[in-house]
Amino acid sequence: MTGHVLARAAGAVLLGLAAGALNVGAQVPPVPPARIILQMALEAPRLVDYEGTKVITVLRGDRAETITVAESHKRPERMRLEYVSPEDLAGRLIVDNGATAWHYEPRLNMVFEGPTLGGQLLSRDRTLLLRNYGVTALGVEDVIGRQAYVIALVPHHPGVQRRLWVDRATGTILRSEELDPSRGIILSAYFSRVSFSLNLPEAYFEFRTPAGARVFKMFTTEAGTMSPAALQRRVGFPVLIPPVLPEGYTFRGGAVSRFGNLVSVYLRYSNGGNLISFFEAPAGSIGWPSAGRPIAVDGRPARFVDLGYFRVLIWEQGRLRVTAVGTGPTETMVTAAGQIAAGREQALVQDVSRQIESDPATVQRLRGEGLTFPEVARTITLAHRLGTDLGTTIRFVRGSLSASDLAGRLGMPQETLQQTVQQTARETSSVPALSSPR
Amino acid sequence: MTINHHRAGQLLSAYLDGELLPREGAAVQEHLMECPACREEYERLRITKGLLGALPVADPPAEFWTAVRAPRSEGVGPRFSRLPSVLLRRSVWAAAAALVIVLLALIPFVKGTVDRLHAAEIGVDLYVREHALQMSTEPLTDRAYLGVVAGDADLVLAGEQARRGGAEK
Repeated sequence: MTGHVLARAAGAVLLGLAAGALNVGAQVPPVPPARIILQMALEAPRLVDYEGTKVITVLRGDRAETITVAESHKRPERMRLEYVSPEDLAGRLIVDNGATAWHYEPRLNMVFEGPTLGGQLLSRDRTLLLRNYGVTALGVEDVIGRQAYVIALVPHHPGVQRRLWVDRATGTILRSEELDPSRGIILSAYFSRVSFSLNLPEAYFEFRTPAGARVFKMFTTEAGTMSPAALQRRVGFPVLIPPVLPEGYTFRGGAVSRFGNLVSVYLRYSNGGNLISFFEAPAGSIGWPSAGRPIAVDGRPARFVDLGYFRVLIWEQGRLRVTAVGTGPTETMVTAAGQIAAGREQALVQDVSRQIESDPATVQRLRGEGLTFPEVARTITLAHRLGTDLGTTIRFVRGSLSASDLAGRLGMPQETLQQTVQQTARETSSVPALSSPR
Repeated sequence: MTINHHRAGQLLSAYLDGELLPREGAAVQEHLMECPACREEYERLRITKGLLGALPVADPPAEFWTAVRAPRSEGVGPRFSRLPSVLLRRSVWAAAAALVIVLLALIPFVKGTVDRLHAAEIGVDLYVREHALQMSTEPLTDRAYLGVVAGDADLVLAGEQARRGGAEK
């Protein structure tokens, strides 16, 4: 009898649990395709205002630092950040109107006026991001009482992975994690409180200089972008262009950076989700820093400064001091730097022009546009196969022109274009790869 | 003005050379008109001075200069005793001038070295700041964190101490 009762009770519990599970299942919304969720996240800042408290935990050197900040956003691109902790950061204020950012340091009564921290989302960024990262929907989770879609962005080639918790209702990223496979999580951020649909006053995003504050103008990089060839003519010293980079990284822009007497050329390469920067200055104008540890880059003395999230690699080549800044794994940075340090430019121009049966002058011209050798090979081969001009092909290779747009222009099915691109990539894969620096 | 015979005799030579004041000259002239002895003396003096003026200029003998220098070299002992101090003073000035020239020549080198060292120390912060600002154009980057990085670099570039950071193990 007792056993019978227990069995019935257990059955009732199981039924209850099953019903509960079904009930929960009924509450879980269907998960849209991962790319749609990513699209929501990318579009959200243009559509939604919010104000909340964010907690960021980030690698700083060999330790972790936790930062609390009151973050307010007014669409499309205004932002106000008031840092609460740690103690030596408390009180810092950043007001950004989408064009200029003011950083106020109350303990020093100093104001720093500089470029905006809120770059606009360009179609190129989206194209590159979707081209270089696999996006997967992982389900729905609860974040501070709100339903959030969870997606993972994993680069097709070794690099930093991302996981995003995207608010189902607004598309705002409620939580994010960045993971370097060689180091684990390097940054995590989440809102501990957030409010939407606010009517935040305009004045909240306007900066007024406090009485007696010293104001420093910190526009150290010239606006606009220049090709490496144009930069070389501008600064009067040779500009080194990375011959090979981790797959997916493409030239994003170049500029002259000036601070005091230090004039540097700044080349930046992006894969749509991450950035590698190269700074080049005459060796006579900048010495070795005391920070960091000595390492070797292609047999040359170099210094590696591990700031945690950001990592800096410095070496001397010819009469230039080259500094690379990025977030990637150490090995990737050292290998990429080794390719530059090897200094095989002219030999590679000849090799690549022979491999793809093009004249060296064209190869050299595309190098002057900042393309890596694999990109040069793909661009020339694709232009030949598709019958497109080099300018259009460069835009396609760099992600400024999407596959669908190019297919539309050529009156070609997108699948056919994709097949041609993939075939070209396979055939030009013998062009120096990052894994084989020598 | 009137002068007596004796005084007129003393002034005759100066009168002939035109070295007297106008009123003295007039007084001598008036006395000559009245005194035949002084007129005779005046004539002798005039002839003598004329003869002397007509004589040719002769080169002195070689021994003359030896004779002149010998006593001077003996007599200017104190001037030669000042020579070391003069040389010393000149040497000091020459050394100072050379030092100034060397310092002027070194200014670009010293300034270049100072700039180079300064650039080395702020270079990492400057470049990380530039990188962080450009990272903000990447669509998924956390801008609140970039604000920390760029803000920390601002302080270093302004000559303030780097933030230590509330680090925890």
